[in-house]
Amino acid sequence: MKPADKKAYDKDYAQAKKTGKPFFPYAIYKDTVIAGLTVIAIIVLAITIRVEVGEPVNPATTDFIPRPEWYFYFAFELLKIFANQNVLTPVIMATFMVPNILIILLVVWPFIDRGPERRIWKRPFALGLTVIVTGMLCYLTWLGANSPAGVAKGALPVSGLDEQATKGMAVYMANGCGSCHMVAGVGAPGPGPDLTNEGAKGWDNAKMIAWLKAPKAPMPSYASLPPQELEDLSTFLNGLGTKYK
Amino acid sequence: MTTKDIGPKNPVQKGTEATIDYVDERSGVKTGTRWFLFRNIPAGTSWFQTLGFTAMVVFGMQAITGIILAMYYVPDTKGGAYQSIEYITNEVTWGWLVRGMHKWGASVMIIVVFLHMARVFIWGAYKYPRELTWITGSFLLLLTMFMGLTGYLLVWDQKAYWATVVAVNIFASAPIVGPYIGDILRAGPEFGPATLSRFYSIHMLVIPGAIATFIGLHLYFIVRLGISEPPWSKRRLRIERDEEDARRAAAREKAKALPGSVNYPASWPVEAKEGAR
Repeated sequence: MKPADKKAYDKDYAQAKKTGKPFFPYAIYKDTVIAGLTVIAIIVLAITIRVEVGEPVNPATTDFIPRPEWYFYFAFELLKIFANQNVLTPVIMATFMVPNILIILLVVWPFIDRGPERRIWKRPFALGLTVIVTGMLCYLTWLGANSPAGVAKGALPVSGLDEQATKGMAVYMANGCGSCHMVAGVGAPGPGPDLTNEGAKGWDNAKMIAWLKAPKAPMPSYASLPPQELEDLSTFLNGLGTKYK
Repeated sequence: MTTKDIGPKNPVQKGTEATIDYVDERSGVKTGTRWFLFRNIPAGTSWFQTLGFTAMVVFGMQAITGIILAMYYVPDTKGGAYQSIEYITNEVTWGWLVRGMHKWGASVMIIVVFLHMARVFIWGAYKYPRELTWITGSFLLLLTMFMGLTGYLLVWDQKAYWATVVAVNIFASAPIVGPYIGDILRAGPEFGPATLSRFYSIHMLVIPGAIATFIGLHLYFIVRLGISEPPWSKRRLRIERDEEDARRAAAREKAKALPGSVNYPASWPVEAKEGAR
């Protein structure tokens, strides 16, 4: 804002204050009404929709559905968008780039938009940004709320399994891999990549086990699994799309 | 006030006044209160401008319910945390209500803070001279989100545990500083007892302290600079109308001065208005 604009604003605001009303009771009355209604709403919610006690933590069983609280659904859905881990959509976009760009934009916004205009219909860029960001947040939250929470139960539609691969698939099912990964259309479409053609990578079991023990974020480590199970799981995964289709 | 003072004062009243005067002389509390409560604000202040106060009240409610929960909660990974949550929910008188209010309060606070931010953004209220108010507010938004993240782990059930493992992994995946942030959050390379007590301390000491500090700064800026006027308040609209009228009148004058232009009748409504002022 130019010095002349600042001066004009200061003068205009002084005028508004001069012809204004005292904070007490005019503003505080409105504040109290809305804050009071909000607190009542919280109490009503707490009474009608009771909080539950979930299952106790067991770090050994990884049969879990990593669903955050609803206010982080948008970040979770962002992970799914960038789940493919290729050059165009690297997972670092969702875990680092997009959130940090948004945070920096949020903090420095007053230094980007410095014009004197305050009416939203005369600030098309700000209006567009409001609509797009709000729309995206709502859409991603809605997606998160409606995403399939279920871990695929039973068997995966994969044939040609030998004995070790069958055991490996059981490990896959028991540890909730399907709540982040998809195999032949069964399981969640993210945040993890689709594993239907995992075998095409040509990894050996040692490499796969090393990965399962120390994977790239956001995937948690499966180092707590017994060595035999890791071996079975790796055999299963390394044959997906090649030996087992 | 035109009450006439007759006779000796009531000793209680006298004592109270003397005490207030004593305190005011040393602290300026009377002047301060007057400065805070009876400052003028623009007349067109809207209902949308109550969201900041509401967010603050919800934060206060979270503090109170949080203190009550802390009286029963045990940050122990060997079953203690889980049992204390069960105890609060099922045994403690009104415990389910306090926990319910704390959990719902978190969701409501995030909604209110977002709506507050949207209001400020749409109204352009972050513009001169309120840029720093916006920055303190943006930190408050981030701290509120962080509050949600750290609080989620404390109930120590499967859902909370694994969601937090994934969230911390995301922090840890950031380039260069990521592994350090991950280690700081986890209190080591693995999730364990130290992680829970660290999250507990961050959730109930570090972030609330930071939020209280930023609320203080935020409030100071608001009181010092005054709450913004709606860009479409009655007063603003009147000024804009007058400016528009003046602009039109000037354009007409210019048109009149040009040869061969239309001569407007003297009784043109705008000019009549201008003349009346």
